[in-house]
Parts: sequence; C-alpha cells; structure tokens
Amino acid sequence: MKIYNSSLAPNPRRLRIFVAEKGLKIPTEEVDIFTGKNRTPEMLAKNPAGGLPFIELDDGTHLAESVAICRYLEGLHPEPNLMGKDNREQAFIEMWNRRMELNLFAVAARAFQHTNELFKARIKQFPEYGETQRETVKQQLQWLDAQIGNKPFIAGDRFTIADITALVGVDFAAQAAGVSADPALKNLARWHQSVSSRPSAQA
Amino acid sequence: MKIYDSLGAPNPRRVRVFLAEKGITNVPFVQVNIATAENRKPEFLKINPMGGIPVLELDDGTHIAESVAICRYFETIKPEPPLMGVDAKDKAVVEMWNRRMEFEILSMTAASFRNTSDFFKGRIPQVKEYGEIAKSAALKRLEWLDTVLADREFIAGPRYTIADITALIGIDFGRTTAIKIQESQKNLTRWHQAVSSRPSAKA
Repeated sequence: MKIYNSSLAPNPRRLRIFVAEKGLKIPTEEVDIFTGKNRTPEMLAKNPAGGLPFIELDDGTHLAESVAICRYLEGLHPEPNLMGKDNREQAFIEMWNRRMELNLFAVAARAFQHTNELFKARIKQFPEYGETQRETVKQQLQWLDAQIGNKPFIAGDRFTIADITALVGVDFAAQAAGVSADPALKNLARWHQSVSSRPSAQA
Repeated sequence: MKIYDSLGAPNPRRVRVFLAEKGITNVPFVQVNIATAENRKPEFLKINPMGGIPVLELDDGTHIAESVAICRYFETIKPEPPLMGVDAKDKAVVEMWNRRMEFEILSMTAASFRNTSDFFKGRIPQVKEYGEIAKSAALKRLEWLDTVLADREFIAGPRYTIADITALIGIDFGRTTAIKIQESQKNLTRWHQAVSSRPSAKA
C-alpha cells in the first residue's frame, strides 16, 4: 500500500492524522501540487478527479477521497476506533464528520479558492463569493463553540474522525482563508488546544 | 423511529430512495415545511442544530442528521441488499464514488440553484455569477460522467449503490436551473433511464 500525499494541502493532512492515530506506518509519495503534478495524465489515470490524497493498494486499485480511504483503513485496523463501533455510533460520528466537512472545512476551502492568488489562474474567482464564505466560516465557528459546550470532543466523549476534520478545517480557515477563531470562543479554544497537543496533529 | 422529511428538496429524496431500495417501508415520515422555514425555527433546531433535512429520530431520542449518515444507519441494521459496499475495499470504492457524485454533481447543481433562484433570495447572500460557474462546472462533470459510464453499468461498478442514488438526485435537481444530460451523452442517458425506471426513483 502507498499513499500519494501533499504535505501542503488540507485533505492529505486529514489522512496523515488518521494514520498517526491508528499507529500505522504507510509508505508515502509526495506529489507537487504547485507544479500541477497531480494533474498529469499519469496521475489522472490513477485518480481521475485529480485530488490528493489517494492510495494505491497492492492489487493496483486506487482509492481516492479522504474519508473513503479512512473507512478502508478503519476496516483493516478497527482499533483504536475512530469511526464508530455500533450502528448508532457510526451514524452519529458520520453526522458530525460531515457537518465539520460540509459546513466548516468546505466553506473555508471555497473562501480560500475564491480569494487567494494561488487559484487565480486555476478557477474563475469571485472574491465577492469568497467573502460570503468567510462570513459563513465565522458563523460556523461560533456555532461550533456552542455545540462543543462542555463536551471533550466533537462527537462526544472520545476522539474521532470528526475531530480530525474539524481540526484541519479550523487550522485551514486560520492559515489559508484568513479566519481565525475568536479567542472568546472558549469551548472551541479548549477543544482546539486539546486536539492540537496530540502527537498526531504534527503528522 | 421516524424521519423528518421534505418533499421537493433533494437531500430527503436520497434517504427515501435508499429506503425504497432496501425495502424498508415501516418508518413514518413527518413533513417539515421548508417554504415557511419551519426547519429554522427553535423547535426544529433542537432536533438538528444545522436546520437541515432529513433527520432520523431513533427510539432512544437520538437525532441523526446528514443523509449519508442516515443511510449508513439503515445499511448496518439491514445489510441486504448492500448499497454501501460489502467488504473494506468495496465499501471504500462505493464511498469514493458517492463522494464524487456529491461534490462534483449534487453540490454543483445545488450551488447553481442556491445562487440564482428566487427561493433563496433573502435567505443566503446570493452571488449570481458563482451560480453560473457552478452550472457550467456541473455540465462539464456530466460530460466526464458519461465517459466513466462507458465501461460499467452503474456509477461504482457492476452493482447499483448509494452512488447511483446521489448521482440520480444530483442530476434530476439540475432541472431547476436547466442542467440536463445531452443527447450525445449515450452512456449517461442509458444509465439515467435505467436508474429512473427502478420503482425506488418515485420515492
């Protein structure tokens, strides 16, 4: 098995943290997204969507989409459990993971893509749209602070994939989309400090 | 157990089609009126703080939001017929394709609608130009999907899966902003006819 990685992009970081939490060591090949190496015909033959990360299985199958890859690894290595143990918990964690993905991480990504120089030549940018997405990120961070409340983690009492997505989303919003969490959001700050201090956060 | 549903909206249809394919007919549906923003009232926000529909309510009072999380709950309590994969690798392949259909098709036709329709005027800050871009992106993705379907019966391979449900609903929702399959897209046309003629498509 091999991971096609980009050490700069947020989605590959999700997978790296997941792998680190599982205690796995998987060979990794770095793909330079700045020079568009993920869009070469050779790479598109492996992942036609052009995104990173994706993994190559020993039988030659390529699996893309961070969460799909995480689910594969969860199937092979169930412990420590990061995606839920029974029906109810699996659905509950997936709900929270998707909320973090669709309402925070994806919004921060659109804010970045529509306002950053890097994407100027790649997509048709609408800075006005990017600004609406920035505003949405701010609202979502407030919402998340209220939702975390006294809970230690996003989906309840233990660390799960939803924490990984939220961490990468919050960090990406701050570092790339120019929206840092207001320190007055105490629950969010407490949670962020706790998940950032796990060794996996450095992965 | 019950499901908060809204006829006409695309995400609730995903769960209805999924349940129809599973042959699950004993779950009551409760209609929520999105036209009068019933889903944004405090009462409903207690059920789903995101305000989205559908939401599954379990007998223990747990609320599961997010269509795919709800589908996964039903997949685990009633594995047959499998709609989300059968082993670790197959599950990941189906999830990869489902996510592609979600991000590349459904969210594009949804973004086109959200940013250009009168329905969302005053509800979200609309950026019409972005809606136009989302529309042309969706049309390009349909071209791509036509080539994907050249060598397979269904989106994720030889079996009907949740990825077909997401693609069907994403494409059908495109009608709201005149995003349609082109006559020249023979594979996509063949697939769309096949999945639309299943009884579940009426759910």
